Amino acid sequence: MYRYDEFDHQLVGDRVKQFRGQVERRVSGELTEDAFKPLRLMNGVYLQLHAYMLRVAIPYGTLSSKQLRMQAHIARKYDRGYGHFTTRQNIQFNWPALDKIPDLLEELATVEMHAIQTSGNCIRNVTSDQYAAAIDGEVEDPRIISEIIRQWSTFHPEFTYLPRKFKIAVTGHDNDRAAIKLHDIGIVIKQNELGDVGYEIHVGGGQGRTPFIAKKMADFVPKAQLLAYLEAVMRVYNMLGRRDNSYKARIKIMVHETGEVEMRRLIEAEFAKIDASQMLAVPQAEIDRISAYFASPEFETLPATSPALDAAKTQDADFARWVRANVVAHKQDGYAIVNISLKPIGGVPGDATDVQMEAVADLAERYSFDEIRVTHEQNLVLPHIRLDDLKTVYDALNAHELATANLGLISDTIACPGLDYCNLANARSIPLAQEISERFADLDRQYDIGELKIKISGCINACGHHHVGHIGILGVDKKGTEFYQISLGGSADENASIGTITGRAFTEETIVDAIETVVTTYTDMRQTDERFIDTFRRVGLDPFKERLYAE
Amino acid sequence: MAQHSSKGARFQAVTANRLSDGEVVYLTADNQWAETFPAADIADGPEAGDALMARALPADFELHVLEPYLFEVLQDGTDYKPASVREIIRAAGPTVRLDLGKQADAKRES
Amino acid sequence: MPNEYQLMKDGALCQDEWTYSDDETALPDAPTIISLTRLKAEAESLRARNAKLGVQLLADGNGKTKLGEDVAELEPYLDMLSLVSIAFPTYRNGRGFSAARVLREQFNFEGELRASGEVLHDQWAMMRRCGITAFELAPSVSLETFTAAMGELSNAYQPAADDQRGALWQRHK
Repeated sequence: MYRYDEFDHQLVGDRVKQFRGQVERRVSGELTEDAFKPLRLMNGVYLQLHAYMLRVAIPYGTLSSKQLRMQAHIARKYDRGYGHFTTRQNIQFNWPALDKIPDLLEELATVEMHAIQTSGNCIRNVTSDQYAAAIDGEVEDPRIISEIIRQWSTFHPEFTYLPRKFKIAVTGHDNDRAAIKLHDIGIVIKQNELGDVGYEIHVGGGQGRTPFIAKKMADFVPKAQLLAYLEAVMRVYNMLGRRDNSYKARIKIMVHETGEVEMRRLIEAEFAKIDASQMLAVPQAEIDRISAYFASPEFETLPATSPALDAAKTQDADFARWVRANVVAHKQDGYAIVNISLKPIGGVPGDATDVQMEAVADLAERYSFDEIRVTHEQNLVLPHIRLDDLKTVYDALNAHELATANLGLISDTIACPGLDYCNLANARSIPLAQEISERFADLDRQYDIGELKIKISGCINACGHHHVGHIGILGVDKKGTEFYQISLGGSADENASIGTITGRAFTEETIVDAIETVVTTYTDMRQTDERFIDTFRRVGLDPFKERLYAE
Repeated sequence: MAQHSSKGARFQAVTANRLSDGEVVYLTADNQWAETFPAADIADGPEAGDALMARALPADFELHVLEPYLFEVLQDGTDYKPASVREIIRAAGPTVRLDLGKQADAKRES
Repeated sequence: MPNEYQLMKDGALCQDEWTYSDDETALPDAPTIISLTRLKAEAESLRARNAKLGVQLLADGNGKTKLGEDVAELEPYLDMLSLVSIAFPTYRNGRGFSAARVLREQFNFEGELRASGEVLHDQWAMMRRCGITAFELAPSVSLETFTAAMGELSNAYQPAADDQRGALWQRHK
């Protein structure tokens, strides 16, 4: 994992000091709320329904045990004993007091973390593949270039007051787990015919009010030129992106209105000018320095199978089910990737208590080379677990209600905080996720249904990714009452697609029945081994619509 | 700022969040900011609403609260209650965590 | 910008030798700042002028266009210009940051670059990194406040239009 050096420490320390001064000036009345708001937002401090909310950046979703323990400590000392993992691989605290946030940030800085640029119209936390450096078939660990992008984009003097927020995601694998086509810039690490590593660049994806799949802007940007290319995209956007209407200000709208061809021409013209100076070519020595932090852990040489694991599976059916659902093959023989579901039946998606965070940190320290990952689907990952240790890890997780065997299944729902917490929400999301998981609580039924991703947003900003849910649910407000709209056929992977709205919205009372109708329509129509999304793509919306709106 | 009162709203109250910790507060009859909805001063009619809102904005209001606004309340027998789901949740706490927010404080006190 | 301001230039408060002129009045025989519209319309006669000339670049469309003026339009006139005043209509509109860097890094403009309009405290240092050397500040801002704000971040991660190289490069000098 990357470790701060003196530069990183100094900059984060400077920022905490600066924010402390700003908070003092706000509390003393020297700063109006109008002047203070952009400053607090740049430091991840929002005002929500019940309190302030602090969003802490988890760069590319990687945490050490020490860092996760600090989140537990913050949850206990500054909050109400829990944190919420988000679709941006970040963690949010729902109840911190403004006047204590500078102290909180100071403690956070001791474990090399911060809340910088987790809000505001700037380049946000870079996200990546949660299986980085653990999955087979990766071109390169995406966290190396993600870290370089993190540094380049932090306190960028030119790109901190963009038309709108700007999100970058990176993957090094053909199977996209980072939803890169739904980001302002999505980067796929590629190897060309000559064996050189470079970057395929997608621009203009996003969700919100007007969802778009990103357009491929470049097939192969050589390694040394990536920052120049990114700076070119950013500058074209900063100069020509719309600022007259905040709903039309994201780069996706610019790409759409300008057209893919013209957009590519603009970016390439600017890229040629920037690249000519060679100013942004990162020295090889620095790339090597950063790469060294992501060197492969010292895996033991182990057989590909584990008799201990096989025996445990035979003895414990629940464990066997968990292995089947939540454990993924590792690139190294004798190891596995463990997914920790933060979606217990009836629980709040993405929430973890201080005790749970500490339990996961302990397991990572003992069994996973001190590493934890956060996924954009609001779960955690222990990336490097020996097959022989799986049962021990499972038992420890189970003792903390962290062993729900539902990864990728209907109860593994993404849900934004919704109207229970969020100032922008129109409807609640969490209760719906809870009711759906309770309705489908029977795991055997969930396995029978198979892979089915439900994603719930409490407003059109789409933080719950409803546009790309196999089943998407959008909460809307009609005169102070909550209604829910269903869309079908969305997907966030390498075959990304935007869902189609089924028709009129459902009430709080009828929405879960409607979801069940969608599911039974699918199970009635599916062919052997056909996933929900495949059936939907084969039969289209009509059969679902007929059943949903039959009198 | 979103609209928190419907056009024909008869009863309204003023709410804001406290500067120091973001706690939801309500403007009372003696121009204090109270933590519970029953302490809120209720305005009857649009003019009374405007007058109530004006009282929430003395020169130094930003030293105490942020973003005060009027919201609609309904008469409920002899009591009042917030009209929208949003304001009901602000007055009580998250519906998914009954152990947190004002609803939990009320439980502890009773 | 006829708004009242004090000029902070190269880190010191100073008398502003420049005035803003509108599009109709005859220009004074002293340093003056005109609009891009007037610059383009009167370029030929302005070349003959003795006193120094500056132009103000509007970063927003003032309700007329979506985007505001394009810094590239200044390129043919740069040899006549001693100053470019970049107008920031609100602190939220950061388009001028790019204009400043393009002027410095691509057009090699060496005259005065100043920020006018609404500028926030914590934007001053970023503007300087983009090549802006003069600031039209509210009369209430003290030199002390300004100097402190400029020094709040002791380093940078990336190169821009100033002499800071950025940590990604500086680590391997």
